Amino acid sequence: MSAGGTGQTTGQGGDRPARDPAGTAALERRYRRLLRCYPPSHREFHREEMLGVLLAAARPGQRTPGLRGTVNLAACGLAIRVRRIPGWLAADAGQDALAVVSLIAPAVVVILIALAPAPMNVTAAARVPFWTLPPFPPSTLVMTAWLAVVLLGLTGGRAAAVVIAFISVTIAWLAWLALSVQLLGPGPWRLGPGPGGLVQFLGPAGGIPIVLASLAACSLAFSPGPRRGLAIAGWWRACLTIAALSAGFGFPFIVQRVHPAALALTGSLAFRLLGILAIVLAIAVTRGRSPVGRRVAGLVAAGLVPSLAVLLADVAPPGVTLLVDLLVAVLVWPMAIVSWLGRVGPAARAG
Amino acid sequence: MYVYDMKQRSMQEPTFLILTALAAGPQHGYGIITDAEGISGGVTRLQTGTLYMALDRLRSAGLVEPDREEVADGRLRRYYRLTDEGATLLGAETERRRASAAVAAQRLRTRLAGGTA
Repeated sequence: MSAGGTGQTTGQGGDRPARDPAGTAALERRYRRLLRCYPPSHREFHREEMLGVLLAAARPGQRTPGLRGTVNLAACGLAIRVRRIPGWLAADAGQDALAVVSLIAPAVVVILIALAPAPMNVTAAARVPFWTLPPFPPSTLVMTAWLAVVLLGLTGGRAAAVVIAFISVTIAWLAWLALSVQLLGPGPWRLGPGPGGLVQFLGPAGGIPIVLASLAACSLAFSPGPRRGLAIAGWWRACLTIAALSAGFGFPFIVQRVHPAALALTGSLAFRLLGILAIVLAIAVTRGRSPVGRRVAGLVAAGLVPSLAVLLADVAPPGVTLLVDLLVAVLVWPMAIVSWLGRVGPAARAG
Repeated sequence: MYVYDMKQRSMQEPTFLILTALAAGPQHGYGIITDAEGISGGVTRLQTGTLYMALDRLRSAGLVEPDREEVADGRLRRYYRLTDEGATLLGAETERRRASAAVAAQRLRTRLAGGTA
């Protein structure tokens, strides 16, 4: 016999001993806090009935959620959030957001490479006579390549833009991996704190904001492309977003150029705070209240990881922060691929 | 999509218990928990988080749907019912389990017969 079916005896606390109202209120307050683990849409639909079930299932006199119940609620809330990521990305808004990212991220990468201090940037060009060929360091080549990515993306050469971006990102991944191994690797792999070997060879190519560059490459490959992004965002919104993100992510570089000594005062904390400010500005200028704007902000937020990974620098070897950045730079690819498959695959056709 | 997955894999125990509980008629969350405990012979007591994660998934897959809402003791109760698709899937899973159980019973009988012979 079903206990809780239509008209059955066991209600949600109906036949239970009277509870201590203050204790019940405290328990409800704590359960409400725990339910914040769930996505907003799930909370909106299920919160009140879940609270009813949780309170009905509570022991008389219980004032705090038990350990098992707490872990179960937190784990299930997190699982539902994770489960919804592919749908979140596969929706039309997810593809539109990736299209906007494919427009703005390569431009931000170009600006950040240009802002970055030597040796990433051209420094010796000013010292040679104008009639001789200027030195052509690899960093200039990298910046030129990303400038080509931007222009090709806007002029219909997206396939070429994807190839160039992917080559640059692959070399950067190798450079970062080589540097991580050099810093963390055992015995003969560890070459000391200075650059050497493969790192020295790949170093200039690795001098790009790796997470943003990776995001730019995968969004170019697995989205409707920058032209669609431009149609969605519009010129002024795109330019404002690029400016805001460049200012945020490039803040330490700007400070270093304007006042080299000031960086020691502002330090990495300012980097992190300005990065967050950049995301807030991006939300404000890319229709932050729209589904596309929120997804753009969420995707670009991945670029904050290098800023946040700085926190690890105090407690972990320097190579660890590089590996964290590298991991995020690689993980943005499956996200974009899931979004793409959701648009062109069977799930999209069915739904 | 979820139905497709479930046809490929065996149904998880909480899902089976929830669908079985709803096969008798619409029930609210706490009713499903107590009924599922009874169906499993007291072995399985669904946690609230597990129940609503499963309900969320089953509702997305069209296997269950909200039936009606009531307010009791100032608390919202939402009743859920099994859809036709959910009933079909539960029937298929029941047959699968019955077939597996029959094979197990047959082999145990053979083993017993061999042991006593």
